[in-house]
Amino acid sequence: MKDQRSYFERADFQSDFPLQFLAGVVGMILVLLELGVAQWPFFYGAAPVLSLIFIYYMIIYHDKYMPVFVIFLMGIVGDVLLSDLLGGRATAFLLLTYVMQHRLVRLQQSDFGQLWLDFAVSCAAVSLFQLLLFSALNFRIPALSPILFQLGATLILFPIGFVIIFTIHRLLQKVKIV
Amino acid sequence: MRVSDKARIRQRRIIHGVLILLSFSLMFLGKADLSALRNIRMGSSDFLAPVIDFVSAPIRGIETMVEGVRTVASLRAENVRLQGENDLLKRWRRRAEILESENRQLRSVTGAATIENRTPITARAVTAPGGGFAHTVLIAIGSEEGIVRGNPVVTADGLVGIVIDVGRAYARVLMISDINARIPVILSSSSWPGLTVGQNGQFLDLQFLPDEAQPKIGELVLTSGHGGVLPNGLPVGRVDQIEDGTIRVRPAVDLRNLSYVSVLTGGLEGIDNSNLDLADFYTPLPIDDTTRLLEGLDSSGQRR
Repeated sequence: MKDQRSYFERADFQSDFPLQFLAGVVGMILVLLELGVAQWPFFYGAAPVLSLIFIYYMIIYHDKYMPVFVIFLMGIVGDVLLSDLLGGRATAFLLLTYVMQHRLVRLQQSDFGQLWLDFAVSCAAVSLFQLLLFSALNFRIPALSPILFQLGATLILFPIGFVIIFTIHRLLQKVKIV
Repeated sequence: MRVSDKARIRQRRIIHGVLILLSFSLMFLGKADLSALRNIRMGSSDFLAPVIDFVSAPIRGIETMVEGVRTVASLRAENVRLQGENDLLKRWRRRAEILESENRQLRSVTGAATIENRTPITARAVTAPGGGFAHTVLIAIGSEEGIVRGNPVVTADGLVGIVIDVGRAYARVLMISDINARIPVILSSSSWPGLTVGQNGQFLDLQFLPDEAQPKIGELVLTSGHGGVLPNGLPVGRVDQIEDGTIRVRPAVDLRNLSYVSVLTGGLEGIDNSNLDLADFYTPLPIDDTTRLLEGLDSSGQRR
Protein backbone atom coordinates (compact mmCIF):
# COMPACT_ATOMS: atom_id res chain seq x y z
CA MET A 1 0.00 0.00 0.00
CA LYS A 2 1.25 3.43 -0.82
CA ASP A 3 2.42 5.59 2.07
CA GLN A 4 -0.18 8.31 2.43
CA ARG A 5 1.79 10.42 4.91
CA SER A 6 3.00 12.84 2.29
CA TYR A 7 -0.57 13.71 1.27
CA PHE A 8 -1.46 14.63 4.86
CA GLU A 9 1.68 16.71 5.16
CA ARG A 10 0.71 18.58 2.06
CA ALA A 11 -2.75 19.22 3.52
CA ASP A 12 -1.12 20.68 6.66
CA PHE A 13 0.97 23.02 4.66
CA GLN A 14 0.52 26.69 5.25
CA SER A 15 3.25 28.95 4.01
CA ASP A 16 5.10 31.03 6.62
CA PHE A 17 7.28 32.51 3.93
CA PRO A 18 5.57 35.93 3.58
CA LEU A 19 5.91 36.57 7.32
CA GLN A 20 9.45 35.22 7.37
CA PHE A 21 10.24 37.57 4.52
CA LEU A 22 8.66 40.46 6.43
CA ALA A 23 10.72 39.57 9.51
CA GLY A 24 13.81 39.53 7.30
CA VAL A 25 13.05 42.96 5.87
CA VAL A 26 12.43 44.43 9.34
CA GLY A 27 15.65 42.83 10.59
CA MET A 28 17.64 44.34 7.72
CA ILE A 29 16.13 47.77 8.30
CA LEU A 30 17.12 47.53 11.96
CA VAL A 31 20.71 46.68 11.00
CA LEU A 32 20.79 49.71 8.69
CA LEU A 33 19.17 51.82 11.40
CA GLU A 34 22.01 50.90 13.74
CA LEU A 35 24.36 52.56 11.27
CA GLY A 36 22.08 55.58 11.14
CA VAL A 37 22.02 55.84 14.93
CA ALA A 38 25.82 55.61 14.95
CA GLN A 39 25.91 58.99 13.19
CA TRP A 40 24.76 60.65 16.39
CA PRO A 41 27.92 61.80 18.14
CA PHE A 42 26.50 60.41 21.40
CA PHE A 43 26.58 56.87 20.00
CA TYR A 44 29.92 57.27 18.20
CA GLY A 45 31.56 53.86 17.96
CA ALA A 46 28.95 52.32 20.22
CA ALA A 47 25.54 52.21 18.56
CA PRO A 48 22.98 50.04 20.38
CA VAL A 49 22.48 46.60 18.83
CA LEU A 50 18.83 47.04 17.87
CA SER A 51 18.88 43.93 15.71
CA LEU A 52 19.69 41.79 18.76
CA ILE A 53 16.56 43.03 20.57
CA PHE A 54 14.50 42.07 17.52
CA ILE A 55 16.10 38.64 17.19
CA TYR A 56 15.61 37.99 20.91
CA TYR A 57 11.91 38.89 20.79
CA MET A 58 11.26 36.96 17.63
CA ILE A 59 12.99 33.78 18.81
CA ILE A 60 10.96 33.74 22.01
CA TYR A 61 7.54 34.57 20.63
CA HIS A 62 7.63 33.91 16.88
CA ASP A 63 10.29 31.32 16.40
CA LYS A 64 8.78 29.98 13.19
CA TYR A 65 8.81 33.40 11.52
CA MET A 66 12.49 33.91 12.23
CA PRO A 67 14.51 31.47 10.08
CA VAL A 68 18.17 31.07 10.97
CA PHE A 69 19.14 32.17 7.49
CA VAL A 70 17.66 35.63 8.20
CA ILE A 71 19.69 35.81 11.41
CA PHE A 72 22.82 34.80 9.50
CA LEU A 73 22.12 37.45 6.87
CA MET A 74 21.52 40.15 9.50
CA GLY A 75 24.84 39.29 11.11
CA ILE A 76 26.76 39.25 7.83
CA VAL A 77 25.27 42.54 6.60
CA GLY A 78 26.12 44.10 9.97
CA ASP A 79 29.69 42.79 9.71
CA VAL A 80 30.11 44.11 6.16
CA LEU A 81 28.67 47.54 6.83
CA LEU A 82 30.41 48.06 10.15
CA SER A 83 33.59 46.60 8.66
CA ASP A 84 33.79 44.26 11.62
CA LEU A 85 35.41 40.87 11.48
CA LEU A 86 33.44 39.15 8.69
CA GLY A 87 31.25 36.46 10.24
CA GLY A 88 31.96 37.47 13.84
CA ARG A 89 28.58 38.98 14.54
CA ALA A 90 26.81 36.34 12.45
CA THR A 91 28.43 33.50 14.42
CA ALA A 92 27.59 35.19 17.73
CA PHE A 93 23.95 35.68 16.71
CA LEU A 94 23.62 32.09 15.46
CA LEU A 95 25.15 30.64 18.61
CA LEU A 96 22.85 32.76 20.75
CA THR A 97 19.86 31.55 18.73
CA TYR A 98 20.98 27.97 19.21
CA VAL A 99 21.24 28.39 22.98
CA MET A 100 17.91 30.24 23.14
CA GLN A 101 16.11 27.51 21.20
CA HIS A 102 17.15 25.02 23.86
CA ARG A 103 15.73 27.23 26.62
CA LEU A 104 12.69 28.36 24.70
CA VAL A 105 9.97 26.99 26.99
CA ARG A 106 11.57 28.51 30.07
CA LEU A 107 12.00 31.86 28.34
CA GLN A 108 8.40 31.87 27.14
CA GLN A 109 7.21 31.35 30.70
CA SER A 110 9.41 34.08 32.19
CA ASP A 111 8.12 37.48 33.26
CA PHE A 112 9.55 40.67 31.78
CA GLY A 113 12.11 41.21 34.57
CA GLN A 114 13.57 37.75 34.05
CA LEU A 115 13.62 38.29 30.28
CA TRP A 116 15.47 41.57 30.68
CA LEU A 117 18.04 39.90 32.92
CA ASP A 118 18.40 37.03 30.47
CA PHE A 119 18.79 39.51 27.62
CA ALA A 120 21.52 41.31 29.59
CA VAL A 121 23.40 38.02 29.96
CA SER A 122 22.86 37.14 26.28
CA CYS A 123 23.99 40.58 25.12
CA ALA A 124 27.09 40.41 27.32
CA ALA A 125 27.83 36.92 25.96
CA VAL A 126 27.57 38.16 22.35
CA SER A 127 29.92 41.09 23.09
CA LEU A 128 32.34 38.86 24.97
CA PHE A 129 32.37 36.33 22.14
CA GLN A 130 33.13 39.06 19.60
CA LEU A 131 35.77 40.57 21.88
CA LEU A 132 37.52 37.23 22.37
CA LEU A 133 37.50 36.50 18.65
CA PHE A 134 38.72 39.98 17.80
CA SER A 135 41.52 39.82 20.37
CA ALA A 136 42.56 36.33 19.28
CA LEU A 137 42.74 37.27 15.61
CA ASN A 138 44.31 40.72 16.06
CA PHE A 139 46.50 39.95 19.11
CA ARG A 140 45.25 43.17 20.66
CA ILE A 141 42.49 44.22 23.01
CA PRO A 142 40.42 47.19 21.84
CA ALA A 143 39.21 49.95 24.19
CA LEU A 144 36.59 48.38 26.41
CA SER A 145 34.61 51.51 27.28
CA PRO A 146 32.81 51.76 23.88
CA ILE A 147 31.87 48.08 24.10
CA LEU A 148 30.49 48.52 27.62
CA PHE A 149 28.67 51.67 26.54
CA GLN A 150 27.13 49.79 23.61
CA LEU A 151 26.07 47.02 25.95
CA GLY A 152 24.51 49.51 28.39
CA ALA A 153 22.71 51.43 25.64
CA THR A 154 21.28 48.19 24.21
CA LEU A 155 20.07 47.10 27.64
CA ILE A 156 18.42 50.46 28.29
CA LEU A 157 16.69 50.34 24.91
CA PHE A 158 15.50 46.76 25.42
CA PRO A 159 12.21 47.61 27.20
CA ILE A 160 11.42 50.33 24.64
CA GLY A 161 12.19 48.00 21.74
CA PHE A 162 10.22 45.22 23.39
CA VAL A 163 7.14 47.41 23.83
CA ILE A 164 7.37 48.70 20.25
CA ILE A 165 7.64 45.21 18.76
CA PHE A 166 4.87 43.95 21.07
CA THR A 167 2.59 46.82 19.97
CA ILE A 168 3.28 46.12 16.30
CA HIS A 169 2.57 42.45 16.96
CA ARG A 170 -0.79 43.31 18.57
CA LEU A 171 -1.67 45.54 15.63
CA LEU A 172 -0.84 42.77 13.19
CA GLN A 173 -3.00 40.40 15.23
CA LYS A 174 -5.90 42.84 15.00
CA VAL A 175 -5.71 42.95 11.25
CA LYS A 176 -5.35 39.16 11.38
CA ILE A 177 -1.97 39.01 9.69
CA VAL A 178 -0.46 36.86 12.44
CA MET B 1 5.22 15.05 17.83
CA ARG B 2 4.44 14.31 14.21
CA VAL B 3 6.96 12.82 11.88
CA SER B 4 6.88 15.93 9.69
CA ASP B 5 7.66 18.11 12.75
CA LYS B 6 10.58 15.90 13.68
CA ALA B 7 11.91 16.09 10.15
CA ARG B 8 11.50 19.84 10.13
CA ILE B 9 13.38 20.21 13.43
CA ARG B 10 16.17 17.97 12.16
CA GLN B 11 16.37 19.96 8.93
CA ARG B 12 16.46 23.20 10.89
CA ARG B 13 19.25 21.94 13.12
CA ILE B 14 21.30 20.93 10.11
CA ILE B 15 20.84 24.33 8.48
CA HIS B 16 21.71 26.00 11.79
CA GLY B 17 24.89 23.97 12.08
CA VAL B 18 25.89 24.63 8.48
CA LEU B 19 25.36 28.37 8.88
CA ILE B 20 27.40 28.49 12.10
CA LEU B 21 30.17 26.63 10.31
CA LEU B 22 29.92 28.96 7.32
CA SER B 23 30.07 32.16 9.36
CA PHE B 24 32.94 30.74 11.42
CA SER B 25 34.89 29.96 8.24
CA LEU B 26 34.12 33.42 6.88
CA MET B 27 36.02 34.91 9.82
CA PHE B 28 39.23 33.21 8.77
CA LEU B 29 38.66 33.97 5.10
CA GLY B 30 38.01 37.60 5.99
CA LYS B 31 41.16 37.74 8.08
CA ALA B 32 43.15 36.37 5.15
CA ASP B 33 42.25 39.63 3.35
CA LEU B 34 41.62 37.99 -0.02
CA SER B 35 41.11 40.52 -2.76
CA ALA B 36 38.06 38.67 -4.12
CA LEU B 37 36.41 38.83 -0.72
CA ARG B 38 37.36 42.49 -0.40
CA ASN B 39 35.71 43.18 -3.74
CA ILE B 40 32.53 41.36 -2.71
CA ARG B 41 32.53 43.29 0.54
CA MET B 42 32.96 46.62 -1.21
CA GLY B 43 30.39 45.62 -3.84
CA SER B 44 27.80 45.00 -1.14
CA SER B 45 28.71 48.28 0.55
CA ASP B 46 28.26 50.00 -2.81
CA PHE B 47 24.84 48.39 -3.08
CA LEU B 48 23.72 49.06 0.48
CA ALA B 49 25.17 52.55 1.02
CA PRO B 50 22.25 54.37 -0.72
CA VAL B 51 19.82 52.35 1.43
CA ILE B 52 21.71 53.35 4.60
CA ASP B 53 21.55 56.93 3.39
CA PHE B 54 17.80 56.64 2.97
CA VAL B 55 17.22 54.96 6.34
CA SER B 56 19.49 57.48 8.11
CA ALA B 57 17.69 60.51 6.67
CA PRO B 58 15.10 60.76 9.48
CA ILE B 59 17.83 60.31 12.09
CA ARG B 60 19.88 63.09 10.51
CA GLY B 61 16.72 65.23 10.49
CA ILE B 62 16.19 64.66 14.21
CA GLU B 63 19.84 65.43 14.87
CA THR B 64 19.61 68.69 12.90
CA MET B 65 16.44 69.63 14.77
CA VAL B 66 18.00 68.96 18.18
CA GLU B 67 21.07 70.89 17.14
CA GLY B 68 18.87 73.79 15.99
CA VAL B 69 17.00 73.93 19.31
CA ARG B 70 20.28 73.79 21.19
CA THR B 71 21.74 76.59 19.06
CA VAL B 72 18.74 78.88 19.59
CA ALA B 73 18.90 78.28 23.33
CA SER B 74 22.53 79.24 23.53
CA LEU B 75 22.55 82.01 20.93
CA ARG B 76 23.54 84.82 23.26
CA ALA B 77 26.39 82.93 24.86
CA GLU B 78 27.43 81.74 21.41
CA ASN B 79 27.55 85.34 20.15
CA VAL B 80 29.86 86.45 22.96
CA ARG B 81 32.06 83.41 22.38
CA LEU B 82 32.23 84.02 18.65
CA GLN B 83 33.18 87.66 19.11
CA GLY B 84 36.02 86.58 21.36
CA GLU B 85 37.07 83.93 18.85
CA ASN B 86 36.88 86.46 16.03
CA ASP B 87 39.29 88.80 17.80
CA LEU B 88 41.62 85.92 18.46
CA LEU B 89 41.45 84.75 14.85
CA LYS B 90 42.23 88.24 13.57
CA ARG B 91 45.37 88.23 15.70
CA TRP B 92 46.26 84.73 14.46
CA ARG B 93 45.66 85.79 10.87
CA ARG B 94 48.12 88.67 11.20
CA ARG B 95 50.61 86.28 12.78
CA ALA B 96 50.03 83.72 10.02
CA GLU B 97 50.62 86.31 7.33
CA ILE B 98 53.91 87.26 8.91
CA LEU B 99 54.91 83.60 9.25
CA GLU B 100 53.84 82.81 5.70
CA SER B 101 55.97 85.57 4.34
CA GLU B 102 58.90 84.42 6.48
CA ASN B 103 58.31 80.84 5.38
CA ARG B 104 58.31 81.84 1.72
CA GLN B 105 61.62 83.65 2.18
CA LEU B 106 63.16 80.67 3.98
CA ARG B 107 61.97 78.26 1.30
CA SER B 108 63.60 80.34 -1.37
CA VAL B 109 66.83 80.23 0.62
CA THR B 110 66.82 76.49 1.40
CA GLY B 111 65.20 75.32 -1.81
CA ALA B 112 62.80 73.11 0.17
CA ALA B 113 60.01 71.53 -1.77
CA THR B 114 56.46 72.65 -1.25
CA ILE B 115 53.85 70.17 -0.01
CA GLU B 116 53.34 67.27 -2.38
CA ASN B 117 51.01 67.92 -5.23
CA ARG B 118 47.74 66.30 -4.23
CA THR B 119 44.29 67.28 -5.39
CA PRO B 120 41.55 67.38 -2.78
CA ILE B 121 38.10 66.06 -3.71
CA THR B 122 35.23 66.63 -1.32
CA ALA B 123 33.04 63.69 -0.32
CA ARG B 124 30.18 63.10 2.08
CA ALA B 125 30.54 60.64 4.94
CA VAL B 126 27.66 58.18 4.68
CA THR B 127 28.23 56.17 7.84
CA ALA B 128 29.99 56.50 11.18
CA PRO B 129 31.67 53.82 13.29
CA GLY B 130 28.89 51.88 14.97
CA GLY B 131 30.76 49.24 16.94
CA GLY B 132 33.69 48.89 19.24
CA PHE B 133 35.63 46.57 16.93
CA ALA B 134 36.26 48.70 13.84
CA HIS B 135 36.46 52.39 13.15
CA THR B 136 35.74 52.91 9.49
CA VAL B 137 33.44 55.18 7.49
CA LEU B 138 31.91 54.89 4.06
CA ILE B 139 32.31 57.99 1.91
CA ALA B 140 30.26 58.79 -1.17
CA ILE B 141 33.08 58.79 -3.68
CA GLY B 142 34.74 55.92 -5.49
CA SER B 143 36.85 54.71 -8.36
CA GLU B 144 34.73 56.70 -10.81
CA GLU B 145 36.27 59.86 -9.32
CA GLY B 146 39.80 58.45 -9.38
CA ILE B 147 39.98 57.37 -5.76
CA VAL B 148 42.50 54.61 -5.07
CA ARG B 149 43.59 52.65 -2.01
CA GLY B 150 45.94 54.69 0.13
CA ASN B 151 44.49 58.12 -0.57
CA PRO B 152 44.60 60.20 2.63
CA VAL B 153 41.29 61.57 3.90
CA VAL B 154 41.36 64.89 5.73
CA THR B 155 39.24 67.77 6.96
CA ALA B 156 40.33 71.34 7.54
CA ASP B 157 41.44 70.29 11.04
CA GLY B 158 43.69 67.40 10.05
CA LEU B 159 43.92 63.74 9.16
CA VAL B 160 40.83 61.50 9.31
CA GLY B 161 42.29 58.30 7.86
CA ILE B 162 43.23 56.41 4.73
CA VAL B 163 41.09 54.89 1.97
CA ILE B 164 41.35 51.11 2.32
CA ASP B 165 38.66 49.82 -0.04
CA VAL B 166 37.31 51.42 -3.17
CA GLY B 167 34.02 50.60 -4.85
CA ARG B 168 32.47 52.18 -7.91
CA ALA B 169 30.71 55.02 -6.11
CA TYR B 170 31.74 54.52 -2.48
CA ALA B 171 34.98 54.03 -0.62
CA ARG B 172 35.80 52.83 2.87
CA VAL B 173 38.12 54.86 5.07
CA LEU B 174 40.15 53.38 7.90
CA MET B 175 40.08 56.07 10.57
CA ILE B 176 43.15 56.97 12.60
CA SER B 177 41.28 55.81 15.71
CA ASP B 178 40.98 52.21 14.43
CA ILE B 179 43.07 49.62 16.24
CA ASN B 180 44.75 48.69 12.95
CA ALA B 181 45.66 52.28 12.02
CA ARG B 182 49.29 53.05 12.78
CA ILE B 183 50.44 56.42 11.52
CA PRO B 184 54.12 57.47 11.42
CA VAL B 185 54.24 60.89 13.06
CA ILE B 186 56.59 63.49 14.47
CA LEU B 187 56.23 65.84 17.41
CA SER B 188 55.85 69.34 16.03
CA SER B 189 58.26 71.18 18.31
CA SER B 190 61.04 68.62 18.70
CA SER B 191 60.54 66.54 15.51
CA TRP B 192 60.99 63.26 17.42
CA PRO B 193 59.40 60.48 15.37
CA GLY B 194 56.87 57.97 16.67
CA LEU B 195 53.73 56.08 15.77
CA THR B 196 50.17 56.88 16.69
CA VAL B 197 48.15 53.72 17.25
CA GLY B 198 44.35 53.73 17.34
CA GLN B 199 42.51 52.06 20.23
CA ASN B 200 39.01 51.85 18.72
CA GLY B 201 38.15 54.63 21.13
CA GLN B 202 38.28 58.41 21.05
CA PHE B 203 42.02 58.71 21.68
CA LEU B 204 45.21 57.43 20.09
CA ASP B 205 48.36 56.11 21.74
CA LEU B 206 51.68 57.65 20.81
CA GLN B 207 54.24 54.84 20.80
CA PHE B 208 57.88 54.16 19.91
CA LEU B 209 59.03 57.63 20.92
CA PRO B 210 62.72 57.68 21.86
CA ASP B 211 63.48 58.06 25.58
CA GLU B 212 64.95 61.51 25.04
CA ALA B 213 61.71 62.82 23.59
CA GLN B 214 59.78 64.86 26.09
CA PRO B 215 56.37 65.55 24.62
CA LYS B 216 54.40 68.36 26.20
CA ILE B 217 50.69 68.42 26.86
CA GLY B 218 49.02 70.20 23.96
CA GLU B 219 51.93 69.60 21.58
CA LEU B 220 50.87 69.07 18.00
CA VAL B 221 51.52 65.68 16.39
CA LEU B 222 52.01 65.73 12.62
CA THR B 223 52.35 63.04 9.96
CA SER B 224 56.01 62.36 9.20
CA GLY B 225 55.43 61.20 5.63
CA HIS B 226 57.34 57.91 6.10
CA GLY B 227 56.55 55.58 3.22
CA GLY B 228 55.10 58.33 1.06
CA VAL B 229 51.48 57.23 1.39
CA LEU B 230 50.64 60.17 3.62
CA PRO B 231 52.10 63.60 2.96
CA ASN B 232 54.13 65.02 5.80
CA GLY B 233 52.87 67.82 8.01
CA LEU B 234 49.21 66.82 8.30
CA PRO B 235 47.92 67.41 11.85
CA VAL B 236 47.04 64.09 13.49
CA GLY B 237 46.27 65.34 16.98
CA ARG B 238 47.57 66.94 20.15
CA VAL B 239 49.22 65.31 23.14
CA ASP B 240 46.43 65.09 25.69
CA GLN B 241 47.77 63.05 28.59
CA ILE B 242 51.10 61.59 29.68
CA GLU B 243 50.79 58.93 32.35
CA ASP B 244 53.08 56.02 33.31
CA GLY B 245 54.93 56.24 30.02
CA THR B 246 51.70 56.13 28.02
CA ILE B 247 51.16 59.14 25.81
CA ARG B 248 47.58 59.76 24.80
CA VAL B 249 46.79 61.87 21.74
CA ARG B 250 43.47 63.55 21.08
CA PRO B 251 42.75 63.51 17.31
CA ALA B 252 42.89 66.93 15.66
CA VAL B 253 39.62 66.15 13.88
CA ASP B 254 36.45 65.60 15.88
CA LEU B 255 35.81 62.15 14.44
CA ARG B 256 32.34 62.02 15.99
CA ASN B 257 31.13 64.86 13.81
CA LEU B 258 32.17 63.96 10.32
CA SER B 259 29.85 65.07 7.57
CA TYR B 260 32.15 66.11 4.74
CA VAL B 261 35.76 65.13 4.16
CA SER B 262 38.40 65.77 1.51
CA VAL B 263 40.19 62.93 -0.21
CA LEU B 264 43.70 63.87 -1.31
CA THR B 265 44.18 62.21 -4.67
CA GLY B 266 47.42 61.76 -6.56
CA GLY B 267 50.90 61.62 -5.13
CA LEU B 268 50.92 57.82 -4.89
CA GLU B 269 52.74 57.16 -8.13
CA GLY B 270 55.35 54.48 -7.66
CA ILE B 271 54.09 53.56 -4.20
CA ASP B 272 52.86 50.03 -3.55
CA ASN B 273 49.43 50.65 -2.06
CA SER B 274 48.67 46.97 -1.49
CA ASN B 275 50.34 47.26 1.91
CA LEU B 276 48.74 50.04 3.90
CA ASP B 277 50.28 49.14 7.23
CA LEU B 278 52.21 52.38 7.45
CA ALA B 279 54.08 51.18 10.53
CA ASP B 280 56.09 48.95 8.18
CA PHE B 281 57.67 52.09 6.78
CA TYR B 282 58.76 53.26 10.18
CA THR B 283 61.79 52.06 12.13
CA PRO B 284 62.13 53.22 15.72
CA LEU B 285 65.28 55.19 16.31
CA PRO B 286 68.19 53.38 17.94
CA ILE B 287 68.79 55.31 21.14
CA ASP B 288 71.11 53.33 23.40
CA ASP B 289 74.26 53.55 21.39
CA THR B 290 75.98 55.98 19.13
CA THR B 291 74.54 54.61 15.91
CA ARG B 292 72.96 56.79 13.30
CA LEU B 293 70.26 59.14 14.48
CA LEU B 294 70.17 61.67 11.69
CA GLU B 295 72.21 61.50 8.56
CA GLY B 296 75.81 62.23 9.60
CA LEU B 297 75.05 62.61 13.35
CA ASP B 298 75.08 60.18 16.26
CA SER B 299 72.65 60.21 19.20
CA SER B 300 74.74 62.73 21.09
CA GLY B 301 74.54 65.07 18.15
CA GLN B 302 78.22 64.65 17.21
CA ARG B 303 79.36 64.30 13.61
CA ARG B 304 80.29 60.72 12.74
